[in-house]
Amino acid sequence: MAYQPDRSQYPQKKADGTLDIDLASGKYLKLWQGPQHPGITGNMAIELTVCGDEVVEGKTHVGYLHRGFEKLMERRTFMQCFPIVCRICVPEPDFNEYCYAAAVEELAGLEVPELAHWIRTLILEMGRINSYLMYLGGQAGAFGQGVIGQWTTYVRDLMLDRFEELTGARIYHMFIIPGGVRDNLPEGFAARMETTLQEIESTLGDVERVMFHNAVFKKRAVGVGIIAPELLDSYGITGPNARAAGVAKDVRKDQPYLVYPELDFEAVTGKDSDIYTRADVRRRDLLLSIDLIRQILVKMPKSGAVMTKLPNVLHWKIPRGETYIRGECSRGEYGYYLVTDGSGYPRRVNVRGPSYTHSIALFERLVVNANISDVAALLVSLHTYPPEIER
Amino acid sequence: MSIRDVLSPFTAWKNLFRDPVTIADPLNERPGAARYRGFHKNDMDKCIGCGTCETICQNGAIDMLPVSGVPAKLGDSGLRPRIDYGRCCWCALCVDVCMTGSLTMSNEYKWVESNPDLFRFTPGVDKKHWDNAELGYQRHAEKHLTPGERVEMPELEPAARIGSFTEIVDGYSIEQAKLEADRCVSCGLCIATCPAHMAIPDYIKAVRDGDYERGVQLLYETNPFSQVCGRVCTHRCEDSCAARHEGDPIAIRWLKRHIIDQVPQEKVLELIGKPAAPTGKKVAIIGAGPAGLTAAFDLARKGHAVTVFEAQAAAGGMTRYGIPEYRLPYDALDKDIAVITAMGVDIQYNQRVGTDIAMQQLQSDYDAVMLAIGLHQGRSTRIPGSDHPQVRKAVDLLRQITTGEKIEAPKSMVVIGGGNVAMDIARSMARLQLQQHGEIRVTLTALEDKAHFLADPVEIKESLEEQINILDSRGPQACVIDDSGKLLGLKTWKVLSIFDAERRFAPQYDESDEQIHEGEMVVEAIGQMADVSLLGNELTEKLEWNRGRIQIDSNGRTSENWLWSAGDCVKGPDVINAVADGHRVAISIDSVFTQQEAKS
Amino acid sequence: MVMQALYDTLKPRFLLGEFTKQRDDLAFITVEAVRLHALLRHLRDQEGFTHLVLLTAVDWLEDGQFQLTYLLNNRAKRQDVGLRVLIARDNATMESIHDLWAAAATYQRELREMFGIDFPDSPRLHEDFILEGWQDIPPYRRDFDTLKYAQENYRDRPGRETRDPAQHMKQQLYGED
Repeated sequence: MAYQPDRSQYPQKKADGTLDIDLASGKYLKLWQGPQHPGITGNMAIELTVCGDEVVEGKTHVGYLHRGFEKLMERRTFMQCFPIVCRICVPEPDFNEYCYAAAVEELAGLEVPELAHWIRTLILEMGRINSYLMYLGGQAGAFGQGVIGQWTTYVRDLMLDRFEELTGARIYHMFIIPGGVRDNLPEGFAARMETTLQEIESTLGDVERVMFHNAVFKKRAVGVGIIAPELLDSYGITGPNARAAGVAKDVRKDQPYLVYPELDFEAVTGKDSDIYTRADVRRRDLLLSIDLIRQILVKMPKSGAVMTKLPNVLHWKIPRGETYIRGECSRGEYGYYLVTDGSGYPRRVNVRGPSYTHSIALFERLVVNANISDVAALLVSLHTYPPEIER
Repeated sequence: MSIRDVLSPFTAWKNLFRDPVTIADPLNERPGAARYRGFHKNDMDKCIGCGTCETICQNGAIDMLPVSGVPAKLGDSGLRPRIDYGRCCWCALCVDVCMTGSLTMSNEYKWVESNPDLFRFTPGVDKKHWDNAELGYQRHAEKHLTPGERVEMPELEPAARIGSFTEIVDGYSIEQAKLEADRCVSCGLCIATCPAHMAIPDYIKAVRDGDYERGVQLLYETNPFSQVCGRVCTHRCEDSCAARHEGDPIAIRWLKRHIIDQVPQEKVLELIGKPAAPTGKKVAIIGAGPAGLTAAFDLARKGHAVTVFEAQAAAGGMTRYGIPEYRLPYDALDKDIAVITAMGVDIQYNQRVGTDIAMQQLQSDYDAVMLAIGLHQGRSTRIPGSDHPQVRKAVDLLRQITTGEKIEAPKSMVVIGGGNVAMDIARSMARLQLQQHGEIRVTLTALEDKAHFLADPVEIKESLEEQINILDSRGPQACVIDDSGKLLGLKTWKVLSIFDAERRFAPQYDESDEQIHEGEMVVEAIGQMADVSLLGNELTEKLEWNRGRIQIDSNGRTSENWLWSAGDCVKGPDVINAVADGHRVAISIDSVFTQQEAKS
Repeated sequence: MVMQALYDTLKPRFLLGEFTKQRDDLAFITVEAVRLHALLRHLRDQEGFTHLVLLTAVDWLEDGQFQLTYLLNNRAKRQDVGLRVLIARDNATMESIHDLWAAAATYQRELREMFGIDFPDSPRLHEDFILEGWQDIPPYRRDFDTLKYAQENYRDRPGRETRDPAQHMKQQLYGED
């Protein structure tokens, strides 16, 4: 076996525990990835200090997408917040709509009609599929496999068509409104959805054959970027990143919301916790979502109210209170912490996006001693969306 | 890793033989989905310019602007929304909240311009190629963002109320009022509609906030007759309420009453504050009705010495002597009047100008005189037999009921007229009949058909509930009197039409459809006129007149510079109009005084 | 019920303040700043609340206080508990918990930047997080006015004007202002 140095020895640490990096020594190099999309992870920069082709330190820089949503919401009425929350996460906006709506409903004491719960669940699963499809293209792209992204983008577009006919928009759906959802399914929706699901399944078969049963992909992804299970709590790791480490952390099962108790499924897990396993968990989770959508379309009531009566939203006041609503998005635990003070405006809204911990604390830890060529793939494998970090 | 992992990726080659999935001509072959939230449309005929879309737009993308060819009119501000597509996010909350359903969305999403300012446009005014698009976002059939149904007003059931003159309407509880006030979208279309321009959205907000003292202050800024108007106002404001298009209008009148009901009288006085220091100016006002007392209140607060001459033994004018107690209890009226007298207004009761005191004397003793004598003379049909002693005028009877004169209710009676006064007298007499004879036999005949009745719909509904026999399209022809001189009833013919082609009053009858309505008494309730005999010949000659009414300018001033006139006697019957008139005259008199001061 | 029992057990030991049950699986408890660290350690190590869901602040400007909210999750028992810590707004300082959860350092860095709350010894606390070169007061404080800031630093595209329906109507119908 060839000689393998103990990489954990580099870089050396000073007596006070900080890294001993002397840039003037010529031994180290500063290297920036981003803020223009390193991989497909969105506008975010990583500042790498490398020694040869090995990363000795990595820092995540965010702020390129900060729009101050949490603050903006403090000067908008509860209904006016509804159109802006979706913008906090572009590829999977619906969790913002759901968490925000559910938090408002809880603090205002509103009961949402049964049918609305089903439609909300349907939309969240549709969004999860889209998010995973984007991820698969990105993960393959990070290893130079451009064709996967072309395929997944196509089938994602078909799902966007379904979003368009259901919600009236492709990206920012603005459909899960406090009080319920805006409308019932359009006529013939289930049949068209089934066609789309079959197309996605077929594409996923191709993806499996071309991306997963692929010597190059395996060579690059297996055994790389391992998240030790004991890191999970310390680094706030949730979602597929945790499930690939063998921990069946899935809010849909752990603390079921909406109609998940009525759906038949098990959380998808893996055990090797490397880039390959995380990709595979997401692929299988995508298949699970397809199954869940089929279950929903069969089990959901076909008619009924979709929205509860609201007070006049122009001067809707909500009593003082605070709550936290979470859901399992494609990247992990998504949550809204909402504080109200009895006025017509939220006192504080705090958005917990899973990328917050994954792409900063966790990534900065995992990137140490990684090879430069693996950095993009490592970051993509954590499946992070910068807007939810900065809000 | 296996040999499969080396070979499997080559399956991608199969796509070489696949047809492309892209749309060849997306500009033409890719319409938006049926529900697509595309470009806005606005139905100019339905839009009322209430600006609720502007209020809810969290992007600040909507401006309300005047549009040529769309004048402001009652219930329509004349403004129309202009949308800045540089800011719009197509959330469709403006569509969801639109009070009339005029603002909608097409499924069109393609629009190319080289001038970016053109993306600021007024849907429905600036013609666009999607104006006639059939598809596009539809808000849910049920409107959710503003409650449409009025909180029902608790009131006495017909059986419970018919036996007495107890007030019918209970008034809202605090919870009910809050719910009703919550429905208001604060567009303010009502303000210009209200003759007195009351700050309606603001006082409704005071109800929402539970800040009744602020509410009272707002009411008194424009109207010292909140007890009265909170009960019997003709509430034109509710006719222009934005909420009426897709639901019930806000119960503005009941909310006003609710505010004044919540604040004790002493507190009301404290909130209004003390009048200004005396100015030394003296004003005489003839008639203690809403117009006269409103002017008196305003002038007294400015420090002028005001004396009101009232022919009757109590103040209130038609609100006391015309409106039955079950609609406006006397103690409520008394509260309004007490606030006015607390401002130092001196009311001289039982002083009929022209009889007890001469007009000329007022002219010489006072710096200004205001005539607000109302309409207290009933008009007659002048049909044969209408001079019979049992043929009476509604206004006279109503006054007698108020003063407490004993009235022998006839066992059966006929009322001529289809307005509110006719309903008032029919319902009042029905109560007396029930008290005196144990049964109600009142027939009401109106010229108009049911669809064009002049009375408030709620008056008609309540009259029917109180067993008034209402007959529409009946024209009175004669009072039937037997040989012994006893009144037997009223003869009517069916009305074919009321007006001729030039809209002049010229009723046409079907003489073959004749009915005799039994009645020991016939009451005429076909209109009132002012008793202007107090002016005397000389002044009557000097004044300018307009169709039987004293001519006034926009400030209420007559052709004689010392004399103003206001209220029903110059404007026709309506309490809130009289109040508005009173304000106008007070402002006019006060500004004349100010000019005089400046000159001297 | 479970949360209430936990609260009752821990109350004497950690001198817990107000208990607010929000849902069956979510409760909020007020804690004094000095007892927070020990309580967090206890909840994490003894009670199974191993997951730090979030750490954020609420500005109660009127009361001169910041509320720090530490939200913990017990996955096995399906329970969440939010710990509310009220600290003075002036020179706001709070003990760091990065030794309990490594991820907490990021939250604390953000709170330092957005609210101006100091967490001594928290790693890289003073490195810019989201705002680079920010000169104004911490922007998530309630006394930072976003609209005023925007009006001072940016300009609207010209050509915008609007009318108030009520005023416009009065003016049109009566010629009044």
